[in-house]
Amino acid sequence: MQSFAEKLKIFKNNKVVNWHEHVWTDAKGNLNIPEADLLVESAKKAGMDVLVCSLPVTRGNPEPGICRKYNDYVYEAMQRYPGIIQGMCYVNPGYAKEACLEIERCVKELGFIGVKLYNQYFISDPAVHSVIEKCIELDIPILEHAGRDNSLPVSQPFISDGTHFAKAAEKYPEALFIYAHIGGGGDYHWSLKAIADYPNVFLDISGSIYDEDLIEETVRKMGVERVMFGTDGSFSSSMGKLLGCKLSEAEKIAILNNKHMERYLERGMKK
Amino acid sequence: MIIDLCGYLGHWPFRKINNNDAQSFVKVMDEYKINMSVVSSLNAVFYKDTMQGNEEITQDIKPYSDRLVAFSVINPAYPAWEKDFATCIEKLGMKGVMMFPYYHPYRLTEANAVKLANLAGEAGVPVHIPVSIINVRQRHWMDTNDVLNTGDFISLIKNAPNTDFIVSNGATNAIASAAKDVDSKRKGKVYYDIQRVEVFNPAFDSLMKAAGPEQIVFGTGNPLQYLDTQFVKLQYMNVTDEQKDMITYKNAAKLLKLN
Repeated sequence: MQSFAEKLKIFKNNKVVNWHEHVWTDAKGNLNIPEADLLVESAKKAGMDVLVCSLPVTRGNPEPGICRKYNDYVYEAMQRYPGIIQGMCYVNPGYAKEACLEIERCVKELGFIGVKLYNQYFISDPAVHSVIEKCIELDIPILEHAGRDNSLPVSQPFISDGTHFAKAAEKYPEALFIYAHIGGGGDYHWSLKAIADYPNVFLDISGSIYDEDLIEETVRKMGVERVMFGTDGSFSSSMGKLLGCKLSEAEKIAILNNKHMERYLERGMKK
Repeated sequence: MIIDLCGYLGHWPFRKINNNDAQSFVKVMDEYKINMSVVSSLNAVFYKDTMQGNEEITQDIKPYSDRLVAFSVINPAYPAWEKDFATCIEKLGMKGVMMFPYYHPYRLTEANAVKLANLAGEAGVPVHIPVSIINVRQRHWMDTNDVLNTGDFISLIKNAPNTDFIVSNGATNAIASAAKDVDSKRKGKVYYDIQRVEVFNPAFDSLMKAAGPEQIVFGTGNPLQYLDTQFVKLQYMNVTDEQKDMITYKNAAKLLKLN
């Protein structure tokens, strides 16, 4: 029988792209460098090669200037860890014109590889259309904070669940959506059923939830080719759910470095 | 050597689960080289009379008495609970008590809950209170929306000073910090599991600081959760070999009074 140390080697022996991580600000509102350093150090220890990071505003409706400042912090982290940290540009779709200009800046000038949206609007809200169309034009993926949170009281009234992704995917079949953290808390069965039949919706497995059968159910519904590795601050849980699921070694490796997403990473590396 | 203090047998009403009978549960233990597991009955949580579940699990684990230890589920808001407690400990040989104040209609501040905790202390068995069985964000619409209330828990440990407690499957680092002052004045101790405590960020270090390795234990939530997550933590936690032994089995062996 394989020892656990042997089992863990899948992370060391294969390229691992972590599609969901963050850098954050410190108490003074600057990039939290010690935290970013710890993130990269932990990733190296665990055998992760690339960290796709963003810095979203998780409460309220931020003005474009805040988004720009936060994207600059992500860029600072990219410069500090070239080839390891890749950037996702965070925008508030409510400021459509400014958001589109910011996406252009981040992608064309700073080498970001996609867009990160948070819970300011459902992904299916018409307010998000301009941003989705800009992402189609630039051929970049959209990673949207997601979950079907059944706990009460409702803490995030505009968090997107699978049904919102399905609507957006139907309207924009040429866009590539990433449903964030299927293990991020919430009714994943609900969202998996809703997005299963939309080939332009991918997902990452990050988050602190590691219910037995979560990954198997995800792959049964989505197919392994639409599933990506991610952690979102939960390394142990995310590594554990991939190691513990009953997929083949080849399927696990396919999730650790989703080939379909490789071209976005390569584009970022060239900058 | 590994002792898992948090396992369940039986049916979970809100999603399909696997390996939830004693035979297949032990097979999973073998796969992960877990020597002993403490299990309690999920059925008992949901039966009106928890004793029906306690009796079931006692029978179910009989062929595996060297590997499985059962804790009783007691609802101190139901008639004859004191008799149930005595039966579980004295006749059925159960080694501890599970309390689920978010599934049964009582608070840990109420007299009967305090009485149950004190009876456990007198009998020399621990009381285990999971923060939740599953994360409430993914709850079924008929499932509870509540989790362990930290303030109520601290009140309980204060009112049952000789009883050992186990808290599992939650932000035990935060609970340990909040309960530290009260617990330090007690004869009994609170033990915290690492099920939902991350080792790659400061959470585990804060649990070590608040509880110390003498009061940290290993729990998996088997079969509701992947076990590998806990083994990743064992691989990467920044502790000495002796501290790891305390966490993986020595503290549990002491609690269960194993030689």
